Amino acid sequence: MIRQLYRVLGPEGSRPLNRLLILQSGAAVLQGVAFALLVPVLETLLGTDPDDVWPWLSAFAGCVLAYAVLQGAALSGGFTVGSTLSRVLHRRLADQALRLPLGWFTAGRTAEFSRLAGQNVIQVMSTPAHLLRPFITSLLTPATLVVATFFLDVRTALVLLVCAPVLFAVQQGSGALMRRLDLGRDAAIGESADRVLEYTRNQPVLRAFGRTAEGYGALDDALVAEARADRRLIARGLPGLVSFTFATRLVFALLLALGVSWQLDGSLTVPTLLALLVLLVRLIDSVSSAAEAGAGLRIARNTLERLGAVLDEPPFPRPAEPKTPRDASVELTGVGFRYDDGTADGDAARPVLDGVTFRLPERSMTALVGPSGAGKSTVAALIARFRDTTEGTVRIGGVDVREIAADDLAAHVSLVFQDVYLFDGSIEDNVRIAAPDAAPDELASAAALSGLDRVIAELPDGWDTRVGEAGARLSGGQRQRVSIARALLKDAPILVLDEATAALDQENEALFAEAVRTLADRKTLLVIAHRLSTVVHADQILVLEGGGITERGTHDDLVTAGGTYASFWQRRARAHGWRLEAART
Amino acid sequence: MKSQPPEPGPDPAAPDTAAGGTGTRVTPPPLRALAEPVRGRLAIAVGLQAVAALAGVVPFIAVSRIAERLTGESPADGDALWPLVVLACSSGLVALVCGTAAGALAHIADNDLQLALRRRLARHIGRLPLGRLTDRGTGEVKQAVQEDVSALHTLFAHTLLDVVAVLTAPVLALAYLLTVDWPLALVSVVPLLLGVFLFSRAMTGAAAQMAEFGAAVGRISVAAVEFASGIAVFKSFGRGHRAHERFVRATEGFAGFFSGWVRSTLVSSTAAILVVAPAVVLLLLSALGALFVTRDWMTGAELVPFLLLGPAVAAPMGVVGPRIQQIRAGQAAAVRITELLHAPTLPEPTDPAVPDGHHISMRGVSFTYDGRTDVLSGVDLDLAPGTVTALVGPSGSGKSTLASLLPRFHDVTAGTVTLGGVDLRDIPATELYRRVGFVLQDVRLLRASVADNIRLGRPDATDEEVERCARAARVHERITELPDGYATELGRTVTLSGGEAQRLSIARALLADAPVLVLDEATAYADPHSEALIQDALSALAAGRTLLVIAHRLSTVRSADRIVVLEDGRVTEQGGHDDLLAARGRYAALWEAQHTAGPFESDGTPHHRPATTGTGRAADDIREGSAR
Repeated sequence: MIRQLYRVLGPEGSRPLNRLLILQSGAAVLQGVAFALLVPVLETLLGTDPDDVWPWLSAFAGCVLAYAVLQGAALSGGFTVGSTLSRVLHRRLADQALRLPLGWFTAGRTAEFSRLAGQNVIQVMSTPAHLLRPFITSLLTPATLVVATFFLDVRTALVLLVCAPVLFAVQQGSGALMRRLDLGRDAAIGESADRVLEYTRNQPVLRAFGRTAEGYGALDDALVAEARADRRLIARGLPGLVSFTFATRLVFALLLALGVSWQLDGSLTVPTLLALLVLLVRLIDSVSSAAEAGAGLRIARNTLERLGAVLDEPPFPRPAEPKTPRDASVELTGVGFRYDDGTADGDAARPVLDGVTFRLPERSMTALVGPSGAGKSTVAALIARFRDTTEGTVRIGGVDVREIAADDLAAHVSLVFQDVYLFDGSIEDNVRIAAPDAAPDELASAAALSGLDRVIAELPDGWDTRVGEAGARLSGGQRQRVSIARALLKDAPILVLDEATAALDQENEALFAEAVRTLADRKTLLVIAHRLSTVVHADQILVLEGGGITERGTHDDLVTAGGTYASFWQRRARAHGWRLEAART
Repeated sequence: MKSQPPEPGPDPAAPDTAAGGTGTRVTPPPLRALAEPVRGRLAIAVGLQAVAALAGVVPFIAVSRIAERLTGESPADGDALWPLVVLACSSGLVALVCGTAAGALAHIADNDLQLALRRRLARHIGRLPLGRLTDRGTGEVKQAVQEDVSALHTLFAHTLLDVVAVLTAPVLALAYLLTVDWPLALVSVVPLLLGVFLFSRAMTGAAAQMAEFGAAVGRISVAAVEFASGIAVFKSFGRGHRAHERFVRATEGFAGFFSGWVRSTLVSSTAAILVVAPAVVLLLLSALGALFVTRDWMTGAELVPFLLLGPAVAAPMGVVGPRIQQIRAGQAAAVRITELLHAPTLPEPTDPAVPDGHHISMRGVSFTYDGRTDVLSGVDLDLAPGTVTALVGPSGSGKSTLASLLPRFHDVTAGTVTLGGVDLRDIPATELYRRVGFVLQDVRLLRASVADNIRLGRPDATDEEVERCARAARVHERITELPDGYATELGRTVTLSGGEAQRLSIARALLADAPVLVLDEATAYADPHSEALIQDALSALAAGRTLLVIAHRLSTVRSADRIVVLEDGRVTEQGGHDDLLAARGRYAALWEAQHTAGPFESDGTPHHRPATTGTGRAADDIREGSAR
């Protein structure tokens, strides 16, 4: 657990932690020494000459004073390290998130990350003050007391030495058992938390199909499974928890019985026996504080381990000597890509891209088309370096993206995603995130180009309209226009539109398609679209199929060539929005 | 026996410390009302725990008696000592057994309570108006169902018993000490009193601080969720680190607040802890004891019980401190749970009626989400059985809202919606859902097998029926390509493309087989290949039903029985395609815009590079239209 604390604190947090550990250890040992000094005090008072007690009592008092000073420092140190812990962890997590490849953030990991950065950091920040101290006290105070017992009665000390490993083993065993049970329970809790969210988010569809709580079995199953896991934890964990208390009471009973019999056979004096018993009570009391902190320690350890795992996740390699792109052209050479784990995609083994080569000349518009799952979005992600290629290179302005500094790359490429994410704030906040200092006319022109100006005009609060949690208060089309305006305001020389207009109605899409055409005079454009209307006017059309580029050329060339694109085109002519006459025959 | 040092002062580990009891008061007190079903068992657990705590003190009393016997005038023999040893050991065992039983009982009672509460909450959520869920987000629900119920667990299964133990044991210990030597017994209470005084000073204004702490933690949680979900946006738009400012600001605000709080209470909370620390208590007792013994006011043996039990008298401070926060957190959780449980549900019909036929009629329908702006106002609309009605209009005109009234996602603010002559609000939910189906634009698949996703509306459908609908929805082939076919679990490793998901949702609607169907034109995300398949699937679905279609593309609905143009929540035009074109109104303008801006003429033949003047004119028409 101490190791895990060092791991998550990193170098900047290790010094205060060192200091804290020294203070806490010192206080624990001094406490043990103080308890030990109680023995001569009591022996003297029980003996024939109680007036000899004062020197011993002074030593005891001095020791307690020193303990109090160290303990006071350790207590305030605990709070200080606690707030250092939260500060350092939050910053390290934020930095780590920005360094990790975007591909790392699958849905599950995103949820896990927000749990870690949210509640979990707050939970572990109490560890130094509330868990570490009892933990250290429960180890070092008893250890000191066992050493002291040797000076008092060797037999007792030997009995304690024999019992110590037994107690330790019982404690470890029950801890390990509980940890295992906790894991099972954590899984059940996670499942039921997911189901509760799913149930809440999907209320429209569940209601439309008549499945409210009584009818949606998956939720109830998850809740019951969680309750069962808890039951199991109670049933199986209880013996473990009881066994440690039982063991400590057994040790007490054993030593009480031995002490009384040694006294009866005359091998132990009355004062020493009584002093020993007082010491024994202190010892068992200190040991028990470990058991009491046990559950908290286990949880903290699990959490620290999860935090450590995320912080140790290898980030994207950064260029040692960053280079600056010479212009705004984009070039992919022999690019291959496959997901390295099964979490991101169902088809883990199959390469998503294989030998993709193309060039986007500066100030031109290229359209990328192809069936769902052909890897179009992956191409976009590689250009913005959300992921790195498995083979081949992506170059911007003649420079490998892996050699461009992250900030520089971000300044060069603007990407409008298929899934729009807006954060809770006003529309203006969401657009301005791209350029906080943008002048009003820059904002206005981004809004006009994206069609956001019409959204603003319709909304009573205009630019100040709150978008709600993840943009939930806006319609899909409105969200998409906010995200386009954001990308335009950023004014990067390379603009990648990944299905950027899928949620727009045809009217707005047509207007935006017109705007895109004017943008091509100034920017390098890559447009990924299912709607061929956006694509027709591109300078170059690339057809991506089965992970490779199968056709390239202008619209007219490709229609004439009679390949995949041409058949898309024909199918499109048939489908162009489904029609109801078909429905009624 | 607990004599662990007390720990007042901020304890962030207290599970959810938000807003200590500041919620609205509900009578009876929420906590007691929620615990009602398990009150009996909790009371027994409390009794057992009290017995355990008392029995836990007995071994120390027994040892004190041994000390007394051993130092008496005539040295004691074994016959006098062994019964005391046996008493010490057996009472320790009683304490262990009773304490374990109390813990087990409280846990089991709480376990039942948790499940019952979570089920109650889930049932209730299923009856809340959807608006309430979208307004407050899903965070509130998750908080109540997961975190708050867990906070109650801490309270009922742990805190309650801890508090009982820590209040009973010291009383017996003190009572015994008073019989041994009352002046020193009184002194042994001093650390406790001093500790309480210092602790209450440290806790001055704690309620406000706790509320602030909870709020700060809440801000961090929200900012963390936002930061993680928006990471792609932050990475590509945040030059430097400016973009995730809100997260950084929330965490720094929190760290600053926490340090300030700690600093302001540090001296008194540290002093409170030290003054009841066992070593300090023992020093006080042994120093005074030494004084008393050397003055012959008491014997050395009489000091022994004080050294054994003295630290225990001061112990409550150590346990009560953090527990106060747990109790507050539990109360706050109970308030939130109760609030959610008392949130008004969509009213169930008092006088349920069964619709006669499937004619849908809307009269004077108005609706507002926020009570300020009407999304719909004065809408009159009839959907005759077996007809197709298309809703068209600019985005934000209220098409989706109007459609969402039919499956009663929302209730009208004014006016009525009737199905078969019966107001929707008078139709029992199950009857309504048997009659009205819905295919949403935003397809939601559940984390369940493909078959169960299709079966959503009819859990008892056979495999053959499921497959028949999947075939009709043109998704059967894709399903058979999945690793486990129909049994493939969706959402974990296998995800479907937008078009595939849409076809699956159509299969779902086909199987549910409701005579009235609300369709949101659902082809936006599909590639041309999928789009053709979706068209076939929808055609199968539409046959023979009453349809209300939210159309984004006019070509989709040109042959609908009736086209309804919605603008700013009002019906501005309605009629057949040809009538509306002839009327040269808004619909005609929209039609023209769509068919000059796109690459297709209305007959579907491609035409390249439309004259820019044409596009410009269409755009002007639209601007005029919306500026009207």
